[in-house]
Amino acid sequence: MRTRMIIAMVPSLLFGAASADAHAFLDHANPRVGNAVRTAPREVTLWFTQDLEPAFSTVAVTDAAGARVDSGKASVGPGDRKVLHIGVKSLAPGTYKVSWRVLSVDTHTTEGTFSFRVGE
Amino acid sequence: MFRVLLRAATPVFLATLAFASNADAHCFVGQRFLPATLATDDPCVADEMSIPTVSWTKTADVPPANSLDVSVDFAKRITEDFGVTLRENWSHVSQPGSPPRSGFNDFESTFQYQLLKDGPHELALLLGLIVDWGGTGATNAGFGTSFSVLTPTFYFGKGFGELPDTIALARPFAVTGQVGYQIPSSSFDLVAGTPIPQNLVYGGSLQYSMPYLKSSVVDYGLPDFINHLIPLVEAQFTTPAANNFGNSFVTTGTIQPGVIWVGNYFQVGVEAVIPVNGQSGSAIGVMGQVHLYLDDIFPTTVGQPLLGKSTSPTRLPFGG
Repeated sequence: MRTRMIIAMVPSLLFGAASADAHAFLDHANPRVGNAVRTAPREVTLWFTQDLEPAFSTVAVTDAAGARVDSGKASVGPGDRKVLHIGVKSLAPGTYKVSWRVLSVDTHTTEGTFSFRVGE
Repeated sequence: MFRVLLRAATPVFLATLAFASNADAHCFVGQRFLPATLATDDPCVADEMSIPTVSWTKTADVPPANSLDVSVDFAKRITEDFGVTLRENWSHVSQPGSPPRSGFNDFESTFQYQLLKDGPHELALLLGLIVDWGGTGATNAGFGTSFSVLTPTFYFGKGFGELPDTIALARPFAVTGQVGYQIPSSSFDLVAGTPIPQNLVYGGSLQYSMPYLKSSVVDYGLPDFINHLIPLVEAQFTTPAANNFGNSFVTTGTIQPGVIWVGNYFQVGVEAVIPVNGQSGSAIGVMGQVHLYLDDIFPTTVGQPLLGKSTSPTRLPFGG
């Protein structure tokens, strides 16, 4: 009896979750995580695995001294709600840290940091 | 013969109970994700389900028996920090010279409270009480017991994300662990005719997160499948601690190297099961698991705590 109950639960769990969403993981970024770029980027772009809620999703870019070097205004999209952009000031050669925190459309919050280098 | 088998199997059975609650975790701590490990538990309460966990091992009996175990775990948060896991396990044992035996083990429930989730330090602490309900399994077949077992357990998890830049490639490492003490509700087993020991049960995992490497350390442009893998080594041990008159005081356990593939809605794991000595098993076994993230599959219903909602989103610490 217990076996039958357990077996009966499987299809509903696997196939009964219509239009579900999940935690938003960072899929990739430009500049790429941990990599170096020859020329300074004009903006930092992050691609996530899920659609984001713009009001609760943002990113900051800081230099080696911890000073903000971004424009202060992150934006989601347009067109693709998995993409988060933020403009950056003219970046001198050095290492920069990107800190992001996003809310996926199903209300899960995720966060992370990574760095990239300009020059070399 | 049956009593001898039962007596030999008791330490292994109790160890199984102690490590049975392995469904509990969609475990985010800061930017660290600790997957649900197969043999031990991770240090978070969550809404998840393992359906199923399957293992095949060869027991330490003489002659060795083939043991197949199939279990289902359902973990549910009652509040944001308090959760319950329900577990049912079915076993099939075949031994040369004896008729095969099958049946359910004792029903198990685990109550857990989240002590700490420290995101910046990637540290999680959890307290739990595992209750194995005696008399609910196939006692006559040797898969259940007439007595219950309580196991207060402490769990921890720690990511290495704070390591300096010079060893940044080690940041994807993380460790998890648990320590528990089994307290049977009875001190003497009338069927086996032996005292029922109290055991110290402990174990953990060392894991290397490829998702963490790609998203937080360096993106090497590896194939997508590789970027979803978390190779790991688990270990679990049982050491008799008290009321063990007439039984072996030998520590038993297994070392379990393997890998977990992590997706958006579920994960799949497989591990080898290597006995640490002759009392722990007679051959290398295998364990596999499909684990569903209910909080991602049903984000507004089953994936929410029963009492109250998950913490509401707050404005971000940096503008934008």
